[in-house]
Amino acid sequence: MGGRFVALVICALLLSACGSFPVNPPLARYDPSAGYRFDPIPDEPDKRDEMFVILVFSGGGTRAAALSFGVLEALRDTPIRWQERDTSLLEEVDVISSISGGSFPAAYYALRGSDTFTEFPERFLYQPVQSDLVKRALNPSNWFKLAGPSYGRSDLAAEYYDEKVFGGAMYGQLIAAHRRPFVILNATDLTTGVQFPFVQDQFDLLCSDLAGVKLSRAAAASSAFPGGLSPLTLKNYAGDCDYHQPKWVGNALKDRTSRVNARRTARADQRLGYAESVVDLDSQKQRPARPYIHLTDGGVADNIGLREPLTAIANRNNAWSVLQRIDLKQVDKLVVVVVNAATNPQTGRDQTAKVPGLLDTISTVASIPLDNYSFETLDLLRGTVKEFNEEMRLISGCKALASNKGPQCELDIPTPHQIDFFAIEVAFEYIHDDDERNWFKNLPTTLELPRETIDRLRAVGRTILGEDKEYQRLMKQLNGGS
Amino acid sequence: MEHVIVSFQTNRFAYIDGEKAGITNDVLRVEAGTHEFDLGNLKNYKPESQEVEVVGTTVLQPLKIVFTRKDK
Repeated sequence: MGGRFVALVICALLLSACGSFPVNPPLARYDPSAGYRFDPIPDEPDKRDEMFVILVFSGGGTRAAALSFGVLEALRDTPIRWQERDTSLLEEVDVISSISGGSFPAAYYALRGSDTFTEFPERFLYQPVQSDLVKRALNPSNWFKLAGPSYGRSDLAAEYYDEKVFGGAMYGQLIAAHRRPFVILNATDLTTGVQFPFVQDQFDLLCSDLAGVKLSRAAAASSAFPGGLSPLTLKNYAGDCDYHQPKWVGNALKDRTSRVNARRTARADQRLGYAESVVDLDSQKQRPARPYIHLTDGGVADNIGLREPLTAIANRNNAWSVLQRIDLKQVDKLVVVVVNAATNPQTGRDQTAKVPGLLDTISTVASIPLDNYSFETLDLLRGTVKEFNEEMRLISGCKALASNKGPQCELDIPTPHQIDFFAIEVAFEYIHDDDERNWFKNLPTTLELPRETIDRLRAVGRTILGEDKEYQRLMKQLNGGS
Repeated sequence: MEHVIVSFQTNRFAYIDGEKAGITNDVLRVEAGTHEFDLGNLKNYKPESQEVEVVGTTVLQPLKIVFTRKDK
């Protein structure tokens, strides 16, 4: 009898030790002026942005983190004369959008600012993160936690990042610091396949308060590489905070049958999807149709991290619309720096007639659509630049044609506010030397790389940035050239 | 990208989908689709708002959305 009692107590203790994910807090009441959001449009003309700088950090594990960090270092070391003061290009960065490995330097810079440069390499880049995560997963003291149905390997990883990298920091600290850049860590909604940015505008949809969410969980969700790391869970409280959608959502739905802007209608649908409700059979009360949201690696939806900024650049219907700021004449220069750590590992597959194995086929087929989508995403950026530039070309072309027929034919065509758009790309494919390029393009995707590799990545990020033609054009303009 | 001019007798803020969008009589950019246009809270204009499907414009031929001063 006594033995049975002890066994029961041990079982109860073991069950209570089973892990459960740290629940994101509810939002008491929707307040569009509070929470982690980009600054509202300023009323004072002297508060205009004039030069709006967006950094985009791709996925790619520690390879991406080190390359992005190298670019941050280079921007810190780029002195510019701007608005009658000496500063650095890094000081002018307004937004960083990041995916997976790129989310670590992005989040750390948002939290620690210039201290990042002395702290981040030793806290993250040079650490054997992958080995540490495996050790923790294999540690019997964590097995009971992992046995819990709502606790996964990404929850364990988030605990590790919290302890070793972010020091317990929550989004509330970023709100309190109230400084730029505004950092957007992107994960992917596993069910819908849609990008899930860690910003209050997105958490409003769940009626959850991002201020009470740890940065480590955002970084873990953004880098929850499928297979190796489990999805990470959020609780959905939709319907509990008097949230109302922005006006554009209802207007976008009116275009469903005309399909005049299917992309905008789809974005409206995605927002409304989180608020769909059903009647709970037990309580007979309304509850969210999806009471839990499972997030996986941001790279599944967009491995560059550029989709969210592109939406902000080309649309008004976005929580931090750049287009809105351009038309309000608050932006004259738009700078987008894409740090893309994509690789293209060599394979011996085509050297033999042997039928490729199942593992090789599955892993290759899984990554090809992502790579193709990344290509399209980068092309969309180039297309957006072209679209802005084409406006001015059309107008000046018309004016020139008309004025050729005599001064009486000169046209006065009203023009939208023009900007100078700089799209800068840092990617291994722009390395000139064949051997060096191949070396970087064959680096593995892992959360652990040798110190020398990290140092080479930091250095090459700086080099590629310096050689980019658009970056050189920007520097020339900022330093007084035309 | 589509182009519109929100026209009014004076220059003031124009609003698209409830958000400050630019100045009246300027060429403004907007994504294609249905939008609601108005001139803000000082209601000395008519109509109060206009719901318009914006599509097929160019920078050379922006869609004109006209507001006029309301008689006192």
